[in-house]
Amino acid sequence: MSAHLLEVLDPGLGATFQDRGRVGWRRFGVPPGGAMDDHAASWANVLLDNPPDAPVVELLLQGARFLALHDCWIAVCGADAEASVPTWRAVRLRADDEVRFPHNRSGVWTYLAVEGGFDAPRLLGSASVYTRGRLGTPLVRGDILLNTPGAPFQLPAYVAGRSLAWEERRNYDATPLLRVWPGPQWSQFSEADRAAFLDQTWTVTPQSDRVGYRLSGQPLTPGRWQMISEPLRVGTVQVPDDGRPIVMMRDGPTVGGYPKLGVVDAHDVARLAQCRPGRGLKFRMAV
Amino acid sequence: MDWTPYGPHAALVRFADKAGNEAFAQAVAIRAALERNPPEGLLEFVPAYTTVLLEFSAREVPNLTDAMPDILEQLQMAATLTLPPAPVKEIPVIYDGPDLERVARAHDLTTAEVCRLHAEPIYKVHLLGFAPGFPYLNGLDARLHTPRLATPRTRVPAGSVAIGGGHTGIYTVDTPGGWNIIGHTPVKIFDPTRRSPDGGEEAMFLLKQGDRVKFVKSNGGNQ
Repeated sequence: MSAHLLEVLDPGLGATFQDRGRVGWRRFGVPPGGAMDDHAASWANVLLDNPPDAPVVELLLQGARFLALHDCWIAVCGADAEASVPTWRAVRLRADDEVRFPHNRSGVWTYLAVEGGFDAPRLLGSASVYTRGRLGTPLVRGDILLNTPGAPFQLPAYVAGRSLAWEERRNYDATPLLRVWPGPQWSQFSEADRAAFLDQTWTVTPQSDRVGYRLSGQPLTPGRWQMISEPLRVGTVQVPDDGRPIVMMRDGPTVGGYPKLGVVDAHDVARLAQCRPGRGLKFRMAV
Repeated sequence: MDWTPYGPHAALVRFADKAGNEAFAQAVAIRAALERNPPEGLLEFVPAYTTVLLEFSAREVPNLTDAMPDILEQLQMAATLTLPPAPVKEIPVIYDGPDLERVARAHDLTTAEVCRLHAEPIYKVHLLGFAPGFPYLNGLDARLHTPRLATPRTRVPAGSVAIGGGHTGIYTVDTPGGWNIIGHTPVKIFDPTRRSPDGGEEAMFLLKQGDRVKFVKSNGGNQ
């Protein structure tokens, strides 16, 4: 049955419900939203036998604290924030246990799932909070989090625990090599610029968030052709007038007026999402 | 009409060379066709001025190059249909924006003339973007075309009626923005709590691509 499971003692730098995002509303100007690292978020649900679209809590960097109001199963996956519970595994909490994420060591986004999935309001088919668009609101101190009624999670008989294989856990400190597909204006960039894009190591800047990740490096030649606003996708690499690429992320605008050099492969957007400011990354052609 | 791959399972279809009334009519007809009779495996589409993005399910459309010729042919046919124009939605505006006087001075007009010129045309919603339900309206009198602010404001309140270049639009949520604010409307263009009588969530959005809009000068009294 649904129960008051967790109390938010501190949302830290940012805590929102997220799921797989919304489909079919981009022509109304609504971005897809959803967990920035869908790999970690979906593993948190899988560890607890939750449905794949169950809402999880997405935590930014550090500072969040939760209090268990009842015994319950949780799973924490994603960025390493020195969690007070073991991560990448199903964990049994007892009433009055506190779960803390005091200090970010690696990655950006940490995911907290609860057995059955969080009971979060759905708007336009999704529980993903899109703060700027007033679709849901971030968690605040004192919020009581419920789960969705369902059969209680149980480990199979004779199984002592459930954790994720080491090889599925990602090292967010490695320099990722992100696969990129040609964008609609790919062939209008010079060969030298395309080579410069693929050859150099780009750095994620602090002006990066759920909307877009801005990269610094040797600037590309900005497009000198006239552009009219065209649709954007999650992962689209736009090159604005300063020549420094911006990769559109899950809360990014649905249309944009800068040339679109490429699109980061959907499977690699999660790897980019976990790159902290200052982290280097490289691109390679997906084809 | 042609198309470019936009990632492995998406296509950017270009139906016009330049924005304008002809491209607008085509965009509306294509949007209506995609809503009425979506190609198999279509997950999402986003119309813009001269292009429309089609995103497909990788499972249902494993090979885009095979699927696109038929889809293009259908869209081409749809684009030639002339749909009856949408009814005109009237939106009250109180012309009291912080940039009203500056816009007037920049064009050697009085503020009253700016209001008259702005409230005269019937605008077309070319697309929704930038923020949920934010309408990009075409049809602004050339005498009111005004460049965006060099430094965008960090917060523009929802309801602000503004001019950005050759467009006018209405901010639908509080957001940073660089358009020149000439007034505001009490009407909620986007309201996440609004539902149609049958509970439909599309009612959150007052305006849709293809709609026509007329601004009506209001003194801010009881509406």
